[in-house]
Amino acid sequence: MYQTVADLIAAAERQHHPLWRLVLDQEMEYSKQPEAAIMERMRGQLRVMEEAARKGAAGVQSPTGLSGGDAAKIKRYRENGGGLAGDTMLWAIQNAIATNEVNAAMGVICATPTAGSSGTIPGTLFSLDQRFHYTDDEKVHFLLTAGGFGMITANNAMIAGATGGCQAEVGSASAMAAAAAVEINGGTPRQSAEAFAMAMSNLLGLVCDPVAGLVELPCVKRNVAGAVNALAAADMALAGISNRIPADEVIDAMRRIGKQMPASLRETGRGGIATTPTALKMKMRIFGEDVTNEDDGVVK
Amino acid sequence: MTANYRSVFDIIGPTMIGPSSSHTAGAVKIGRAARKIFVGQFHTVQVDYYESFAATHKGHGTDYAIVAGVLGFKEDDPRVPDAVTIARDRGIKIVFIEHTIPSPIGHPNTAIVTLEGHHEKIKLAGCSIGGGTIEVRQIELLGQRIKLRGPLPTLVCMGPRKNLLLAEEKLKNEHINVLHKRLSKFKYEFIQELNTDKLTPPQTLNKLAQMCSRIIEL
Repeated sequence: MYQTVADLIAAAERQHHPLWRLVLDQEMEYSKQPEAAIMERMRGQLRVMEEAARKGAAGVQSPTGLSGGDAAKIKRYRENGGGLAGDTMLWAIQNAIATNEVNAAMGVICATPTAGSSGTIPGTLFSLDQRFHYTDDEKVHFLLTAGGFGMITANNAMIAGATGGCQAEVGSASAMAAAAAVEINGGTPRQSAEAFAMAMSNLLGLVCDPVAGLVELPCVKRNVAGAVNALAAADMALAGISNRIPADEVIDAMRRIGKQMPASLRETGRGGIATTPTALKMKMRIFGEDVTNEDDGVVK
Repeated sequence: MTANYRSVFDIIGPTMIGPSSSHTAGAVKIGRAARKIFVGQFHTVQVDYYESFAATHKGHGTDYAIVAGVLGFKEDDPRVPDAVTIARDRGIKIVFIEHTIPSPIGHPNTAIVTLEGHHEKIKLAGCSIGGGTIEVRQIELLGQRIKLRGPLPTLVCMGPRKNLLLAEEKLKNEHINVLHKRLSKFKYEFIQELNTDKLTPPQTLNKLAQMCSRIIEL
């Protein structure tokens, strides 16, 4: 099992294999399943992701009313020729929002790596797919590479908002997406690692402060930040830019920041956006509970 | 590094009903793990919540998720949100308890599931560590508490001591590495936890089942 990004990159360079191939081999070893079965299962995950992005764009609403309908708005805006940042970015925004809106509406999604961050990878992958028209196998390879980087992140740091804040969820997802975006567009394994390091560095320190403790506000739109950041990091890496601080050291920085983050900013709904006056009113409306501001900033 | 995440599908997955991978999908898995150690039919399900689970179980659908798992549903089963109603319609009594004391197994996302039938009562203490991946840190069978390492997959084998050693040998022959093991006395036999780096294929499990009086695959 690859324990560090450095190990993974060294193995790819030594064996002259793409990263997805190494992750696929690792999975065959773990599950004792043939290659075709793993590819098929990953194709199933891809179908779920595509279906969620499609369903969300048509317009869904969460039971609380805190999220929903925004993917449909972006879709209309895009189709009417709007947009300051170009079509690829608008697609990224649409697919990221659509997926997380479906999640909040209790629809079926694929957690990548978590449900709260499930829009970031579809946001990145499906926006690029609009331009480059990848084959199914290429998209499955994208997911394998992203997953390989995610395993290293999860095993060395964390991927849960409750243990590391949003940097561990959307931050990890964005870095995974950036690494895979580099590979699918012809970058080297080393460039994938650079993209990963840049994307993660950019989102370090991001807190998890969901309104009423629900995976809606600000989670849905944080996935937009994750997807767009992944595209930018991938472009930087493909242009030959280095993060200068290696990926494994960035993962460890994320772990240390997560440890230092107060509990109020780790998915408890007791700090940040969650304790703004408007958010507290929303919580009161949904749960009818008396809520107090517990944003004490104390490290617990 | 403790490798809690051993499969790429722990990261690209699970496919699940929202909204939270740790509070919903992980909770389904905790419920399913509890069901695995219960033999027969249960009439009561009790769920004890601690820390973050106690604070947010309502908003994240943790209640229906755990019950869905106990009923044997998968994380992406469309019946997941209706699991509590489905269970009650089947005559199963369901109790949720929120605790204010820290988790007895030391994790913010802790649920202890108790299943009770006419002849058996089991407990399983699980925690959801993120992205839908869980740990099982303690189980209680026939009134005896057994501490487990936590990360999965893990095999819990019961039987005479020499058979348990043979079972371990068998795994080694199949190139399944035991990362951690703990042998303890259990009633008139022994119980051994074998935490493995790979999944154990069904045919190997069948062979192990012949050596052990009981085997639980978590």
